[in-house]
Amino acid sequence: MHNMVTKSRDVTLLEVLDRVLDKGVIISGDVVISVADVDLIYLGLKVLLSSVETMEQLKGSPFAGPMQEAK
Amino acid sequence: MQMAEKQLVYLYCVTNQEPMLKNAEDLADDFYLVYHRDLYAVVRNVGESEFGQEGLKKNMADLEWVKTNATLHEGIIDQVMKNVCVIPFKFGTLFNTDESLKPMLEEYGDEFKTILSKLENKEEWGVKIYCDTGKLKAGVVNDEPEILEIENQISFSLPGKAFFLEKKKAELLAQSANARVNEYSQESFQLLKELSFEARINKLLPKEVTEREDDMVLNSAFLIGKDEVGDFINMVDTLKMHYENNGFFIDCTGPWPPYNFCGLSNQKEQNA
Repeated sequence: MHNMVTKSRDVTLLEVLDRVLDKGVIISGDVVISVADVDLIYLGLKVLLSSVETMEQLKGSPFAGPMQEAK
Repeated sequence: MQMAEKQLVYLYCVTNQEPMLKNAEDLADDFYLVYHRDLYAVVRNVGESEFGQEGLKKNMADLEWVKTNATLHEGIIDQVMKNVCVIPFKFGTLFNTDESLKPMLEEYGDEFKTILSKLENKEEWGVKIYCDTGKLKAGVVNDEPEILEIENQISFSLPGKAFFLEKKKAELLAQSANARVNEYSQESFQLLKELSFEARINKLLPKEVTEREDDMVLNSAFLIGKDEVGDFINMVDTLKMHYENNGFFIDCTGPWPPYNFCGLSNQKEQNA
């Protein structure tokens, strides 16, 4: 039953991430993450986003699976 | 957390009029403005352990953290833009101090002002179109005489020949569906583009990201005059009426901060 809720929230999150991580003015501040890093992060996120549901189910057991594999 | 921890300055957006931060206080109460050369930078102090190079790298792999902070980033800019025109920055634009942010405003100040005057009285809207290929193909079959003819032949053919005819049918169907996806998404984009000042086509996002059964076939953004937003929405509704029965789904969202329309001239076009 929480599926629907999760879904609609994730679509909004998708819209947010699609802009916030990818667009907007890019200038190098004092903390520099190279573009390559960000791309990697974004790729990692894609994998993570797809496993949201799995993670919801895993709640209770402290971060197993997806998090560790992403490293 | 630790009071003694070194703080960094997180930059959300730049404006040329003093923004009312009251709006954003529901989200967090510690924003402030850095004023320089007639520009206001909306910033917040963040801990170095969380947002420094090491911390940020680690945290970006934590979906919950990214969710929370990306939503906050968007939420703050969203509140600020209710009263003034904003230039939104990319997630995680960080400076050591207010003083080290000012040279950036110095360097890009003129350009920011040009961009802000371009964005005045305009809004960004996003349109994503998805296609359920199965549903589209089901419709295509009945529209294409050539495919109907093959279907007819199949019903009279022996298994060997039928196998090849099926293959041919599948190919034709795929080609035809593909052509329609291109035609519909191009047409939609063009019609919406005509109502906008600027338009962008962005990367399509894969299913793993969208978590939808259907495929994204257009990911676009439009810069619309505030007075034209009604016409724009009407056009989206018209497109929905035309296409949504054929397996297409049109998702229109906005107004967004103008993430897609504030590229600096020394940057490569953000979208290839």
